[in-house]
Amino acid sequence: MDSDSSLSSSLDDSGRADRREFLKRVAVLAGSSTLLAQLPWWSPLRAAPVGESPSDRVRLGIVGVGTRGNLHIAHLLRTPGVEIAALCDDYEPHLDAGLAKVKGAKGFADYRRMLDMPGLDGVLIATPLYLHARMCLDAFSAGKHVFCEKSLAYTIEECQAIADAHRGSKQVFQIGHQRMFSPAFLRALELVHNGEIGQITQIRAYWHRNGNWRSPVPDPSLEHRLNWRLYRAYSCGLMTELASHHMQVANWFLGAHPVSCVGYGSINYWKDGRELYDNVNLVYRYANGTHVIYDSLISNVFYGSEIQIMGPKGTIEAETGRLFAENPAPAPGIVQLINGIEHGFFDTVPIGGPSWVPDLKKDTKGTLLAKEKTTDDGTAISLAAYANAIRLGEPIPGMMEQACGTGVCVLMGQAAMEQQKQIAWPEGFRV
Amino acid sequence: MVLVGVETERAEALAVAAERELRAHERTMSRFDPEGPVSELNRRAAENAVQPPQELWEILSLCRDYWKRTHGAFDITLLPLTQLWREHLDRGAEPTAEALKQARRHIGFERLDFDDSARTLRFLSNEMSIDLGGFGKGYALERLAGSLRAQGVEQALLSFGESSITVLGSHPHGPAWPVGIANMFQPSETAHTFHLRNASLSSSGTAPFNRMGSSGALGQIVDPHSGRPIEGYRTLSVASPSGIDAEVLSTALLVTLESDRAALISEFSSVSAVEIVYYSEAGKFVPKIDWKYGL
Repeated sequence: MDSDSSLSSSLDDSGRADRREFLKRVAVLAGSSTLLAQLPWWSPLRAAPVGESPSDRVRLGIVGVGTRGNLHIAHLLRTPGVEIAALCDDYEPHLDAGLAKVKGAKGFADYRRMLDMPGLDGVLIATPLYLHARMCLDAFSAGKHVFCEKSLAYTIEECQAIADAHRGSKQVFQIGHQRMFSPAFLRALELVHNGEIGQITQIRAYWHRNGNWRSPVPDPSLEHRLNWRLYRAYSCGLMTELASHHMQVANWFLGAHPVSCVGYGSINYWKDGRELYDNVNLVYRYANGTHVIYDSLISNVFYGSEIQIMGPKGTIEAETGRLFAENPAPAPGIVQLINGIEHGFFDTVPIGGPSWVPDLKKDTKGTLLAKEKTTDDGTAISLAAYANAIRLGEPIPGMMEQACGTGVCVLMGQAAMEQQKQIAWPEGFRV
Repeated sequence: MVLVGVETERAEALAVAAERELRAHERTMSRFDPEGPVSELNRRAAENAVQPPQELWEILSLCRDYWKRTHGAFDITLLPLTQLWREHLDRGAEPTAEALKQARRHIGFERLDFDDSARTLRFLSNEMSIDLGGFGKGYALERLAGSLRAQGVEQALLSFGESSITVLGSHPHGPAWPVGIANMFQPSETAHTFHLRNASLSSSGTAPFNRMGSSGALGQIVDPHSGRPIEGYRTLSVASPSGIDAEVLSTALLVTLESDRAALISEFSSVSAVEIVYYSEAGKFVPKIDWKYGL
């Protein structure tokens, strides 16, 4: 079951409407794959498929019904054994639109009222960054399980507070880094484990867009509330909202968090009153001497988004799912042929072939990692993991480490740029 | 071009002459040269009968013979259909049935009206065009091999971008020239070896459209009978004493059903052929010999 093909085919839900069947296959795979056995957060997915009985049903409330919250609604409506019991948003148009999609859900403007709701098992927090910590902590206090969108929190102290509050608890905590459950990234990890690229010697990641990153605002008074990603009081912009995804993958693949980082950021194009950088450039240093180079900008989309995991034997581009072999290009056929003649060899030279070839000598196209197209970026599986963990009543192992490692890492980057100095990993930080 | 047993100075002179000869062939056969006779045909032959230059007329007559001998599998008029597929699949869509029907009205060798006495050609459909891409390299190599032989060269390997190879004599250290068909996905590996002596080898290849980048689009081959692209990653290589036979058959066999291939080949002499299909196994593409003849 651990072969490449079963991994990608079992996790392929494209064209299959039945999420229950899909999750059954995921469960079989999670129980049999040695790769997945090494990823502790996959353990809830090994649970037996959920039954139809009301006691199997997990009742969830979503705080924040914006873009991400709506995506969660769409997934949860298809996830077996889940009931969206409540929605909460202090922006009425979003709340109303959400309630229109979820029959029977109760609406709240104040999340604390929602936490008081009887029979609610857990919450999903999809609010602006600055609210994450207080909502997580209040939810823990109210005895609720918590799924918190990335990035974990607005300050390193808040990250620590969340980790402290959760330590030893039986409550489920999950962070919205869906790549931990993404078939494409699992394939990439499998290749790394199999030694296909050798030791990871560098990771380079980038996220480029071309646009002002704004939402339309019906009234200027709502600017900060709706475009919170642009203002420092609510977010760390490109770092927490985009970079966190790739920094999570970097930490995960390197099995460590960075020891320090340096970087520069500025607003060099979208000078429209925003406070957060429209371009960032950072280098993270890990204890073993590996560096992660990250950059992001929103004034050029040519290179898009990618994470390149590099080693002496190859490069993996995980977002597009390709492996580029490093092994030295073979001597072009004719040169090999002449060498053979000059040295008295009578050898077959691979010189014939169609004029079109998929991999030219430079291996510019690479090898596709997954043969089947997978539509899930990991979000569907990650939400199923959350629901299963609640049903099992067991925290998801390894999850808080990933959340904190990444949450701290992107805040270090923001600090390095703002303070224009090297920022070290916070000594004494404890998960 | 690798020449064996030829003095350096003479070899250089031969190389210069070879380049001149190949450029002349290119001018005769390329549809990309706006001043060339193929472009002129493609521009004017739908309106009036056009008399191409002598050499092109002979080439087109040859193509007509091959079209007949291959039962229509070799056809130099498919460009409108191939382009339709390219344009759509580059965008990730299939052409509509209506668009395909439309395109098929503008292809087909039977819509080329040859007047053998006047040596003129006319297109019977207004959007036709001729593309000698699947013919020219074999023709040029065959002519070049003849020139070299006439100059006393006995051992040589001529490679036209690796997809068409002609050898003279044998390898200096063995009884033949061993030419490997490179694995498309691992170019340093050989998927099959041909032993060539005074022979030519030609390979055609194709790949699923959705797996190709812009550079890949050149490799697409559309089946004139079904009107659809050949599926899968596959290459078909043909060895023959004739460079043109090898070139024509590598494409024609690729679009011919396996069950009909032997009958097609029996029209030609001393041909051997192999089809390699790349199967996906454990995330890698592995070459397998799917069909062969005369080996």
